[in-house]
Amino acid sequence: MKDGPLVTLALAMLNVAVALLLSPLAEGVMRKLKAIVHSRTGPPLTQPYLDLLKLLGKEDLRTTGGLPYTLAPALALGSVLLLATLVPLGTAPPMGFAGDLIVLIYVAATSAVALILTAFASGSPYAAVGGSREMMMLLTVEPVLAIALVVGAVKSGTLSTGGILAWNAEHGPTISMAIAAVALFLALQAQAGKLPFDIPEAEQELMGGPLIEQSGPRLALFRWSLWAKQLVFAVLLVQVFVPWPHVGILAADVVLTLIKALVVLVLVGVIDVVNPRLRIEQAMGYYMRVALSALSALAFAVIGM
Amino acid sequence: MASVQGVAAQVADAVARRIGRDLRVVSQGPVDTLRLDVAPKALRSATEELVQQRARFLVTVGIDTRSLSADFRILHLFSLDSAHLFVVLECAADANDPHVDSITSVIPGANWSEREYRDAIGVTPDGHPDPRRLLLADDWPEGVFPLRRDFPYDYKPPSVEGVAPRLKEPPEGASVLPIGPFFPVLEEPSYWRLFVEGETVVGCDYRGFYNHRGIEKLGDSVLTYNEIPYLAERICGICGFIHSTCYCQAVEKAAGIEVPRRARYIRTIMLELERIHSHLLWLGIAGHILGFDTVLMQTWRMREPVMWLAEEISGNRKTYGMNTIGGLRRDLPAAVIPKILEVLDEVERESIAVRNAIIGDTTLLARTKSVGILTNEWARQVCVVGPPARGSGVPIDARLDHPYAAYDELPPRLCTQEAGDTWSRVVVRVDELLDSIRQVRDALARLPDGEVLTEVKDEIPPHRIGISVVEAPRGEAVHFVMTGDDNRPYRWRVRAPTYPNLQAMPAMIDHAAIADVPITLGSLDPCFSCTERVEAIDVNTRAVRVYSHKELMAMSRRRGQGGGRR
Amino acid sequence: MLIAKLREALICFKAGRVTLPYPFAPHDPTPGFRGKITLDPDLCFGCGGCANVCPAGVIQVQDVSQLVRRLEFQWRRCTYCGRCEEVCPEKAITLSQQFETATDSGDDMVMRIDVFMGPCQRCGRCYTPPTPLDRMDRTGFRTGDGGRS
Repeated sequence: MKDGPLVTLALAMLNVAVALLLSPLAEGVMRKLKAIVHSRTGPPLTQPYLDLLKLLGKEDLRTTGGLPYTLAPALALGSVLLLATLVPLGTAPPMGFAGDLIVLIYVAATSAVALILTAFASGSPYAAVGGSREMMMLLTVEPVLAIALVVGAVKSGTLSTGGILAWNAEHGPTISMAIAAVALFLALQAQAGKLPFDIPEAEQELMGGPLIEQSGPRLALFRWSLWAKQLVFAVLLVQVFVPWPHVGILAADVVLTLIKALVVLVLVGVIDVVNPRLRIEQAMGYYMRVALSALSALAFAVIGM
Repeated sequence: MASVQGVAAQVADAVARRIGRDLRVVSQGPVDTLRLDVAPKALRSATEELVQQRARFLVTVGIDTRSLSADFRILHLFSLDSAHLFVVLECAADANDPHVDSITSVIPGANWSEREYRDAIGVTPDGHPDPRRLLLADDWPEGVFPLRRDFPYDYKPPSVEGVAPRLKEPPEGASVLPIGPFFPVLEEPSYWRLFVEGETVVGCDYRGFYNHRGIEKLGDSVLTYNEIPYLAERICGICGFIHSTCYCQAVEKAAGIEVPRRARYIRTIMLELERIHSHLLWLGIAGHILGFDTVLMQTWRMREPVMWLAEEISGNRKTYGMNTIGGLRRDLPAAVIPKILEVLDEVERESIAVRNAIIGDTTLLARTKSVGILTNEWARQVCVVGPPARGSGVPIDARLDHPYAAYDELPPRLCTQEAGDTWSRVVVRVDELLDSIRQVRDALARLPDGEVLTEVKDEIPPHRIGISVVEAPRGEAVHFVMTGDDNRPYRWRVRAPTYPNLQAMPAMIDHAAIADVPITLGSLDPCFSCTERVEAIDVNTRAVRVYSHKELMAMSRRRGQGGGRR
Repeated sequence: MLIAKLREALICFKAGRVTLPYPFAPHDPTPGFRGKITLDPDLCFGCGGCANVCPAGVIQVQDVSQLVRRLEFQWRRCTYCGRCEEVCPEKAITLSQQFETATDSGDDMVMRIDVFMGPCQRCGRCYTPPTPLDRMDRTGFRTGDGGRS
């Protein structure tokens, strides 16, 4: 049953609101977890909100001009919010359509591209190295995302995220989907920019990497886009690959999804806090192995498991 | 086992045979110091002979002795570790046109020492490969030498605009990645200019001594003998007690003051406590550099009880203020001893837990194994000291080579590794940490009663020299004191362990990934504040001269000691 | 590898939270902590021993007149070594346990005490001043400092 345009818009706004308003809270939970493992009290859960407020009020120093540079933070955040509308939250994605899987994969890469653009537009050598590292990470991690989603597509026979969700909710867990879920979870670590894969932004090596020259509102938007990205990807993971229990009432499903996404992010946080950073070539090697293993999921899917 | 006297005589004979009558005077300072005064033209040959005799270069002291002997004196300090002997190779330079031969061609590790005396005293080392300033800022006026006796310590030269350090340009196709002067991984300012191709380092250059504080000048012009320990303990932000002990020992040696046994034991206890908390601090820093902040937080949590203990024993977490010439100012209160043992038990338990945890951590091993390799051969040539040397299989430890404080009665275990990579240096430090805990327990169990201070009633005789080495957590610290005649030293020279260790850096990061540069630097445990009491470190020189792989290889071959760097 | 991570996590959890509530709760340093210098001008008789041994040059001694010796303290230079406390014969200068010494007023960093030296009016040499009992015997004696001596 197709929803009316107003309902679609409302659901889309819901997704955007969740991505915008709840993602700093998710980040706050991860920071608090890190502090607990560090044996310290740590910042309050609402600290990311305070950080954003503070940054929005600071001076916007720009190192260069040009339209792409000026629009990059908005592009980063905007693409993540667009991604949020393509991701199912509780039910089919509000802006979903047949074949939206392909669009999803492309939009997923856009915020990283915005970051890379900014990095190379900044004059700093640190940003340049950070940008090239971000590129290398993007090239090795995106295929894992694509393979995992294609496994879902093969199993469900549709190219729409909502279709995969529906099929998975109905058919229960399968081997191929399980492997794909694990692969996507490993990819999430890099997508979220968390250790051992926070390589582009390595503070101790590159003083902040791609975002080194950003300040004030621009930095706020970039940070926000990174936090929103990690929440949206977590939601994508749980919705497409772990959609149970599926109740049918929108509010309950949304809450369940968010709880599951939070659990996933807590796991990401745990891995983050017990690991040092890897070198870029070590990370790339790792993700190539993950991608190859994910291909096995594709093999399972094709033979019907 | 030959006696110190016997070995000293042997060495003197060998040098005499080599340079004949150019060996002017042979004297013995304190019982473990052999002084050889040679004619300027025989300096290089004498150095070669000492190297043949397996002497290890420590540092060079430039002294303005124009008021004593109408010349400048250059003293090269060497150590014969196995014989517990110091050898001073002394040479005079004409007061009006001061030149001596450079020994850097014989000993690469002397590079910075020679640049330093050129900047500080104004004696030119002829034939030195690097003409750039080490110690002095680039806008310091020409011809003004701060460690000359007629230079007032509070002179402020006029400031100059538009002067920058002279650094190498990158090779063809490489770009520059600057690390410093302000950078998250550096605690003190220093400027590393990395030349990178993609993610690989193909060369580097260095400028240091941003924080030169003129400590040696203060020591011989403003402060008195007993005030200097308070300055010495502020040379470094972590090894305070090491420097104050080393200075006091140097003066005590020069003046022939015997420190009571109880004081020597307590000095040992405090030195080892400092080693414990310093190594825990380093583990945290190394973790932080790798992005592993959990290790940072936990190891620094573990070292807090040691800091509180230090505060209880001495009144301050770090600047203990306990040392004075002749012993200690205050005794160790008996009530604190059970507390020390309790803290040690806790630290030992947690350190063992950390060691067992990180040994199996493959991500950590992936970042530290085979990273930043320092070969045994290069470590010897550049005269690296401390855990970086021991991690490359060089068995030197000042506590065993020149026993001081109570180490003759409480020898430590020599912890060495062979691989020479960052992981070896981690293992060496963890082993040393556990051994230090054992040592403090032993020292407390055998703590003798008695006085802690030998009162120095007579004036300290002037113009005597004393060399003292102390094994700091970072390596061997050397203090040279030449006593003066107005209740202060005539010359006080401090060489921190990071001084030679930094000179080894370029070779360690050649063709390494950028990501490995901070952890390689961190694994040397550099303490720039220790190193920069005087001016610049000559990493620049090294970098400028021999930063390309080819040049380094050529220099190694010229050294004649065979083989490549790696 | 997993075992190593679990071991590391165990170390972390066993430790609990160690953040001290300072500055929201007060924190006492260990006894014997060398903190801010306190001065009792009533006890000081101007020997200048502290000035002699201070490595940082905090204390300057100046004879303003034959009767008055001025001791000036530049507290910003103090390194809390405690040598002044060691040599003071009257325990007039001591180290307290105070470590919260931050101030934004430069005047807090300079202290001056004027010590009445009590030299002989005829030959100018210092001598032991009369005790309160002695002073009560003598009528009409004026000191010029409010009759407190």
